[in-house]
Amino acid sequence: MDMEFLKSELNELAITDHQRLTGGRMGRRKLEDDDDNNNKEFKSKNLQAERRRRQKLSDRLLTLRSLVPIITNMNKATIIDDAITYIQELQKTSQVLSEQLLEMEGSSEESVMPMKLEIDVAQHDMKKCGIKEEVKVSNIDGNKFLIKIIVEKKRGCFTQLVEAMNYLGFELSETNVTTFSGAMLFSSCVQGKYGDTLMVEHIEELLSEMMKSMKKIPNLPLN
Amino acid sequence: MKVYEESGCFDPHSIPDCQELMGLPGTTPTNCHNSLEDTLNVSSYNHHHHEDASAALDMEPHQHYLLDNTTNSHSHLIPYLTQDLPYDQSHWESFNVLPSSSSPEAAAAAASAAAAAAAAGAYTPTPDLLSLFHLPRCSFLPNPSISFETTPGSPSVVYDPLFHLNLPPQPPVFRELLQSLPHGYTVPADDKDAAGVGGLYHDGDNGIIQFTRDISMAGRAKDRDKAGKTTKHFATERERRVHLNDKYQALRTMVPSPTKNDRASIVGDAIDYIKELLGTVRELQILVDKKRCGQERSKRLKTEDAASAADAGDVEIKSLGDTEQCYNTSLRSSWLQRKSKDSEVDVRIVDDEVTIKLVQRKKINCLLFVSRLLDELQLDLLHVAGGNIGDYYSFLFNTKIYEGSSVYACAIANKLIDVVDKQYAAAPPTSSTSL
Repeated sequence: MDMEFLKSELNELAITDHQRLTGGRMGRRKLEDDDDNNNKEFKSKNLQAERRRRQKLSDRLLTLRSLVPIITNMNKATIIDDAITYIQELQKTSQVLSEQLLEMEGSSEESVMPMKLEIDVAQHDMKKCGIKEEVKVSNIDGNKFLIKIIVEKKRGCFTQLVEAMNYLGFELSETNVTTFSGAMLFSSCVQGKYGDTLMVEHIEELLSEMMKSMKKIPNLPLN
Repeated sequence: MKVYEESGCFDPHSIPDCQELMGLPGTTPTNCHNSLEDTLNVSSYNHHHHEDASAALDMEPHQHYLLDNTTNSHSHLIPYLTQDLPYDQSHWESFNVLPSSSSPEAAAAAASAAAAAAAAGAYTPTPDLLSLFHLPRCSFLPNPSISFETTPGSPSVVYDPLFHLNLPPQPPVFRELLQSLPHGYTVPADDKDAAGVGGLYHDGDNGIIQFTRDISMAGRAKDRDKAGKTTKHFATERERRVHLNDKYQALRTMVPSPTKNDRASIVGDAIDYIKELLGTVRELQILVDKKRCGQERSKRLKTEDAASAADAGDVEIKSLGDTEQCYNTSLRSSWLQRKSKDSEVDVRIVDDEVTIKLVQRKKINCLLFVSRLLDELQLDLLHVAGGNIGDYYSFLFNTKIYEGSSVYACAIANKLIDVVDKQYAAAPPTSSTSL
């Protein structure tokens, strides 16, 4: 209701503005006609824009009010206040729950067994599917290479691979990693950052070495 | 200025002269338009009217000013003004008649203006508004530079009702009235942003007073007054505005990734954040319940193990009943987004599968840090895809939560954006090698 009243009033005022502008200056009307029209349009566009802006704000405040369950008074200031209070309350609740969760996790007796099982299963699967570990490097152009690695999937092996790439001075421009049947396929288009061009065979050698050392590294602990 | 044309004693045929006169003291249409643009309406009518009224009422000081600012021909109009400005309704009708004689448009304007005025109720002599109307007048008293030039667009017929409303208080004791204004109303000339209810303020440059609120708010002002004054007791409207702005800013600080600084965006961000918080709380509740179920189940298993030797049959039945109670059918699903200046993180969790999207302005290859974080969070990488797109790095991670871990979306998103931003900030600016 308020908004309608507002709108109707503004409408009337818009009309009177125009009439006022053109009706008043009788002698100079011709000279200022264009100016009047421009300003009148500007003003009415501005009027509509302002109206829309207010409408937008009002709608959003209504939505906010609908979200907040406890509202004291129904005016604009208190809805903001209530929203602030409600947000604080929700934050507190989520913090309490997350602490509770942490506590439960700490004291939980969930065993480490699933982890070990996982790795055994992985090896088993890989062999079953006939997937072999592999390192393949191809030179695309200059210092750009396409690297394809198939490795047994273990916890943290992706991190190790990325570290290896970093170590070799490669910038990964396109990376794709997929896991299947206990194996991980790492395929990436890399760009050598450093000046010297590495030979394909050299890279393959280095990577194979790294993978061997990766295998030797024990699994990352649970936490 | 129009008052000169429209006063009863004024010869309509001398209107062109008047206009010429008006044209003289450096009037520019733009000046007028600027002042009118800001106010939606009748406020300018008011002020022009008051301007003239005050000129009429307080002749002594003003006559000097008038003589200074205007030509001689102007000054001779003023006596007309003082003598003949009516203090009763009857003249208004004559005023009404006059514009129609001059031009039909002006008459229509006047009529509609009057209608608008009447409808808007701005001229209803409620105590609040009446006292408001004092203000513009008094502002002109101390101000020497009365700008008559800025008035040309207003049909002065509108002035008249006001005139009648406001003049009954005796003109000579005007100033006394001013002194005795209710608290909160300051003489605008002294205080540049004087704020009575309705936000009148004084533009010091050319002495124009403008209403900051439009006519439609005239009705609302009373309500706001009542609400504001009864509950908060603000001394001034300005304080109320400042207080409200502070509240908006406070709301903005609570939101994790605020966007624009205008009221609508602040409220929009707050709405999104409340929805997000509700989702997080729900998610956490589900996790806690699941965890509790799991713990109870494992306890039961232990007791069962201990008792299994004793009586296998009974224990089995018991455990079935218990697990049924504990069984939590709710599927955890949540979706969060976090945005910072250079990075954007999107985390979606359905049950135990987490999908993370990361977009970061290209500076460092964040893949290493992200993968380390994912290991920390006990997320098993199933699939990664991404790379360099234009100025940005964009990655998609499909992961699975390891059994027993209870990470939640909010935690993941927050940690991720922190790590990424930290690394971004820490890395020195490097020139990117392009493919």
